[in-house]
Amino acid sequence: MTPEISPPSKPSAPGAAARGAGQPSRTQPPKTGTGTSLALLIAVLITGPACLYAVYAAPLSMRTEVAWGSGAAAFLLCVTAAVAARNILAARALRAIVAQKDAETDADRAVAAHFADVIVPILVQRLRAGASAQTALAAVPTVTNNTHQRVLHSLANEVHRGEGLRAAAMAACANAAGRVQALATSMAADLRDLEHKYSDEEVLGDLLHLDHRTAQTGRLADSIAVLTGARTGRRWAKPIVMESILRGAMGRISGYQRVRLHSSCELAIAGHAAEGVMHALAELMDNAANFSPPTSEVHVYVEEASAGVIITIEDGGLVMGEVALQRAQQAVSNESLDLTNLSGTRLGLAVVGRLARKHNLSVSFRPSAHGGTGVLLMVPQTLITQPKRETQSMTREPAAAPLPPSGGISQAPRQRPLESVSERSLETRIPAQETPRTANDLPKRTRSVSAPSAAAPESPALSPPAASESSESSASTEPSPEHAPAGETDGGLPKRRRGQTLAAAQRRTASASADRAAEPARSAEHSGSRFGAFRRAVQGGSSAQEQKPDDSSSVSPAPSSSRPEDNTE
Amino acid sequence: MKRPGRDDDPDRLYTVTGGRSRSETDAFDLVTLVVGECEPAAGMQSEHASILRICRSPTAVVEIASDLGLPVSIVRILLGDLHAAGRITARHPRTPATADQLPDPEILKQVLVGLRNL
Repeated sequence: MTPEISPPSKPSAPGAAARGAGQPSRTQPPKTGTGTSLALLIAVLITGPACLYAVYAAPLSMRTEVAWGSGAAAFLLCVTAAVAARNILAARALRAIVAQKDAETDADRAVAAHFADVIVPILVQRLRAGASAQTALAAVPTVTNNTHQRVLHSLANEVHRGEGLRAAAMAACANAAGRVQALATSMAADLRDLEHKYSDEEVLGDLLHLDHRTAQTGRLADSIAVLTGARTGRRWAKPIVMESILRGAMGRISGYQRVRLHSSCELAIAGHAAEGVMHALAELMDNAANFSPPTSEVHVYVEEASAGVIITIEDGGLVMGEVALQRAQQAVSNESLDLTNLSGTRLGLAVVGRLARKHNLSVSFRPSAHGGTGVLLMVPQTLITQPKRETQSMTREPAAAPLPPSGGISQAPRQRPLESVSERSLETRIPAQETPRTANDLPKRTRSVSAPSAAAPESPALSPPAASESSESSASTEPSPEHAPAGETDGGLPKRRRGQTLAAAQRRTASASADRAAEPARSAEHSGSRFGAFRRAVQGGSSAQEQKPDDSSSVSPAPSSSRPEDNTE
Repeated sequence: MKRPGRDDDPDRLYTVTGGRSRSETDAFDLVTLVVGECEPAAGMQSEHASILRICRSPTAVVEIASDLGLPVSIVRILLGDLHAAGRITARHPRTPATADQLPDPEILKQVLVGLRNL
């Protein structure tokens, strides 16, 4: 009824009720007073004449009694009428007040509902989005209710502070995780160097153990980084072949020895996504290994499909129930990042979910043929590339092939200017054979041509055996022995090569034969040079420095130190 | 030249050997010549396949190790696997024996001189 009663909100309702109850009792008496007095007056007006008439009508002897009796009756009647009137009036007034209060309560309730359902969510949303408390308060609709305003202010401040704390904690976690990642990465690199350095099996075993521990540490740090929204550990600059992906994933879990890989997939995963895929696979493998008996194996299959590559991880553990499967599925496909229901030890699926969203992987669970649970991870086609065939074994493969000309392929671009003029016929034959092969092995060609300086430390190490092998197999007619000096002078530094003594002997023999075949006119000199080569072969090539400069058989721009014996005489 | 964290491939050495750090067999020392007995098959571990490719002609263990870029101990474990599976054979160089059988260098020198004088 009055404006000062409405402000109290629900919590203070009892007080308002008390006040509301007290107020009518104060304001009511005038009303009921007038009504009562009016009723009393009417009663007096009616009963007074009635009494007088009764007294007057009664016989004289009875008049006194009648007067007393009628007077008493009239008085009682008046009192009763007055009381009844007062009560009726009071009840009516109270009923009106109750109705008014009901209306007020309804209005309050509506305001409170609006406050709770609209205003507070808007405020919290603004604060979560990073607004400051004042900005968020200014953004919400104005609240007239004083109590609501106070509630809103304290709420804004608290939520803002909480958000600040959360962000700070996340940043600190991400920062720490990043540093642990960096440490683990550099430690892994150090360990790899040490593993190459120490050949003792005991030491190597310990180093491998440490390496494994470091890899697990790195995975944990990666997990924390993923969950805190930091960037993933390292980025690979080149596509990673599937086998390395699987082994990289496998190497990061504790039970890696139980993982069996069944993959003949030759594809690679693009460098930017390789780490994420590896990490997701590692988490899934870890789950599979942890939730299966310690003696059972975890099998990993790779299957190429049109949509991408499907990697299946199957364990022989307990079959996950329908509910558990659904929960796992939900964990990996959960849209919003919710860290609240993460326990400390079950980070895996949440990490997989984050990574799957980031790289557009799809993960699904199903019962496994091995009796346990199978996880399917599909890597989309956009992340699949062909691997760069750049590894040494790939490069070496054609070089080690028994075909005589193939030995010269990798060095052919450099070899050609070194060949003698009289060997033109051979030279023209070699490119004819070499062209299709280099077309097949395109990366190898780019490696030897476009990056000679980078390939220089490696190529000489590769070429001598190739040369020796090819000269071994068909030494007499091919110019392949010339590759070795070419590789050496191209590297710029004298390099000790594998099997030097034997290879040198064979190469010299072969080159002598080649020269003889190419230049039969100088056979007298060459018979001598062949014996010179023979002698040096027996003596281990120790006298290889006693040669004169080249005369005519070679137009080599750089005098090669390992092949001058052709011209010894 | 090599930045940390940029090492060439993500697979660690213990995954290459399945956690083993010592080879079961003593058949391989550094200069043992290894000969592949079969062609690499699909589904083979890539190191095994590479070894078989390298060993199409006799190759020493150290050469294989340097080609693969792996420590010799690891290569010996891998070679042990292949050896146990019968995919490679090992030939030990018999240097002392052959050195004994070689003609005396002095005789050869004399032959050489004689030939030059022809």
